[in-house]
Amino acid sequence: MSSERLAGFPALKLKNITKVYPGVIALEEVNVEVLSGEVHGLIGKNGAGKSTLVGIIAGLIQPTSGLIEINGRRFSSLTRAQGMQEGIAIVTQEPEVILDISVAENLFLGEQPASFGLVDQREMYRKTEKILTDYGLNISPGYRAGDLSLSERQLLLILKACVADDAGIVILDEASAPLTQKDARLLQSMVKSLRDAGKAIVYISHHIDELLGICDRLTVLRDGRSVITCDISSLNHQSLSELIVGEPLSGQNPKPDIAGEVAGEALLSLSEFTKWGAFESVNLTVSRGEVVGLAGLRGSGRTELMKAIAGIDPPDAGRMTFKGRKCSFGTPDVALREGIAYLPEEREMEGLIKGFSIKDNLILNCLHILSSYGVIRKNDCDLLSEKVFRDVECKAFSTEQDVDELSGGNKQKVLIGRIMALKPDLYLMDEPTRGVDIGAKKSIQSLIMKNIRGSAGVLVSSPGLDDLIEICDRILVMYKGRIVACYKGPCFEEHALFMEIQGITDTEAAEADAAAR
Amino acid sequence: MSFSLKFKLALLDNVIWLMLFCFFILCLIGVPEFASATNIVNIFYHSSIMSMLVLAEGFVLLSGKLDLSIDGILAFAPGAVILLATKWAPDVFGNPWLCLVLTIILGGLVGFFNGFCVAKLDMNPFMQTLSMSIILRGLVLFLIPLSIFPLNPAYSYIGKARVSLLGHNIPVTIIAVLLIYSAFGFILRRTVFGRNYMATGGNERASYVAGINTTRMILYGYIIAGMLAAFAGILTAGRQDSVSNTMGNGTVMLAFAGALLGGTSMSGGKGSAFGMLGGSLLLGMFSNSLNLLGVTVTLVHAAQGTLIFVAILVDRLRIRARVRLLRNEQLKKLKESEAMLG
Repeated sequence: MSSERLAGFPALKLKNITKVYPGVIALEEVNVEVLSGEVHGLIGKNGAGKSTLVGIIAGLIQPTSGLIEINGRRFSSLTRAQGMQEGIAIVTQEPEVILDISVAENLFLGEQPASFGLVDQREMYRKTEKILTDYGLNISPGYRAGDLSLSERQLLLILKACVADDAGIVILDEASAPLTQKDARLLQSMVKSLRDAGKAIVYISHHIDELLGICDRLTVLRDGRSVITCDISSLNHQSLSELIVGEPLSGQNPKPDIAGEVAGEALLSLSEFTKWGAFESVNLTVSRGEVVGLAGLRGSGRTELMKAIAGIDPPDAGRMTFKGRKCSFGTPDVALREGIAYLPEEREMEGLIKGFSIKDNLILNCLHILSSYGVIRKNDCDLLSEKVFRDVECKAFSTEQDVDELSGGNKQKVLIGRIMALKPDLYLMDEPTRGVDIGAKKSIQSLIMKNIRGSAGVLVSSPGLDDLIEICDRILVMYKGRIVACYKGPCFEEHALFMEIQGITDTEAAEADAAAR
Repeated sequence: MSFSLKFKLALLDNVIWLMLFCFFILCLIGVPEFASATNIVNIFYHSSIMSMLVLAEGFVLLSGKLDLSIDGILAFAPGAVILLATKWAPDVFGNPWLCLVLTIILGGLVGFFNGFCVAKLDMNPFMQTLSMSIILRGLVLFLIPLSIFPLNPAYSYIGKARVSLLGHNIPVTIIAVLLIYSAFGFILRRTVFGRNYMATGGNERASYVAGINTTRMILYGYIIAGMLAAFAGILTAGRQDSVSNTMGNGTVMLAFAGALLGGTSMSGGKGSAFGMLGGSLLLGMFSNSLNLLGVTVTLVHAAQGTLIFVAILVDRLRIRARVRLLRNEQLKKLKESEAMLG
């Protein structure tokens, strides 16, 4: 990396930023400095505080203390409007374009070239054409934005932020997630030419590979602190993942055991399970009394795999054996009847029934047990819901309370209670600790360890490794839709797992690092 | 949860009955001849047809969908069946009891078609039922250019007859309506079907993930709404002892209003049969009192519109009050725990 680019002035400085949420310190004395004309990477494990930090820069979250300096102007906190005024743009992993208008109109939305209040269509299309060709995006300005692929929409949004809105500081928050491989390369060249145009780019990603390929400098966050900011040339795969995980690699990796057979009754086994575009040739077994972790980045096919097992989005190919019988589930009600319960990742969208009380949400799955001739036995309902309510330690006035009025952690406990009430044989828990506070997380983990695993098998997924390491007997690693490794507990090497999640095998990493040198 | 909070919440949840009560008192004081037993029976009698439509519409709303064709079904189902019985095939369909059953079945069939289009073919419920409503209205005009009367007494029994009860002549209609309402109250609260149905309205995707056959739930919702609308048709035909093409014309919006007045949520999952009954009674009592006050019929409609507006306003205030109550309760708890910690 040439040094004159790094000599740019600091466009964005964060000094001693601290953010305290009730009960949690999300960020503590974080210092980051982003220069103009550089791509500054930001990386850390799940929960390290990346999203909070990004929110603070974009003006979506107000810090508890600290100083934000933008182009020399100091702020103690920003609002989103101020952030936009100061030229800070943010592109997230969900490309939100307006579907029914053209590419050009999307690109210049809010900034249309106009005279006397009339949009100068010809000028707008001409400018769009130029921008698109300049950055190598092969789409026509007249296309309807809804006809673009997700990947193209994302690139369009990045161009809108950087070129049409002319933001000086651009945050790309996992912006490469929806991109295809080809477009990811296009993004790289796009980001590089934007950098050369003098923009300050904050680049956030979970993928080490990607960061090492694109960034000039990099800041690592761990447990809410900025651990280090350093030049990319001083890093390699090995050292960076050590910085992220926070423990040095001990010489000996535990030998990964792909077959992963465990003594005990095999409850579920999949062979060559495939859903095109989501996961491929997945083989796994879960035994009774076992907690199996499914680790992998978002988009690695974890959620899709679970939904396929539960019959919500049935697989395209493959065999499934459950409780010794071959079966395949086309709808979730059949899977539930057989004893497979799924805890959805999207709590609000796919889990809770809004407007229902806690009790009604808890017993929703077991109405058939609690009724005779289709009529619900009220006493049994009360007994069961009270019991489950106590078991999951949900904090609320009473079970009659509306479920909307609970906090995230307690909502999650209600959902876990719902599937526990059914006493299924197999629990599929998709990110059970997502978006819950630390206390709720601990109690959910102890629920899984104490109440659930005894008689049932558990398949639990998480984007973070810490939670899995604490509760799992075995951890399977998914990468790009395939199971690439299987580690047996009780002791896991977080660092080795982290490398597997990133899709970096030891030899590959060594080669890549050697090439970099 | 403290008792007073529970009481307040219960009051807020049944705000329609509170409104009904206040209005009732107001009428007792202000409207001459309101306070007679005959008039009270009269109010029930006159809101009975509307209350069936309100229940039909409210039931579909609970599943998160809507149905604009219920007033069309109200006219079409009895109209077509009576036509069969009197003109087309009197020898086969002469039996009035058979006709009654057929009317309900016909309503159910139209509902099934609506439900099939919405649930299975994924059509927009507004567009689909709008088209169905226009089709039915058109068919009714075509099939019954002139009223057909009189009807078989057995067919018009439920709509017209009165029985002696507690020293009063009570219309059979009222008894039937109250029975149906209690049945639906029971179904919605206490049966597996009712809970699954409500859940589907509350969050369709989550219900599907939780193993509920949501397509079937929505289908059932439309079928039941069609049957209820056909029953309302039987009541209407019975009351006027004829079938005509104007039956139920333009009442579907009032049916919406009644359901919303009764606390049914437009987005589904919230509401109760009890509330819907309150909503229809308020509509009925309102027009009755205006009639007694001598307000012209032409103005009654505008006044009803105003009432609907007030009801929506009250509903918004109700939700705010509920949120505030719960927040205060939470604050109180927080303060208590802080005080305990020192």
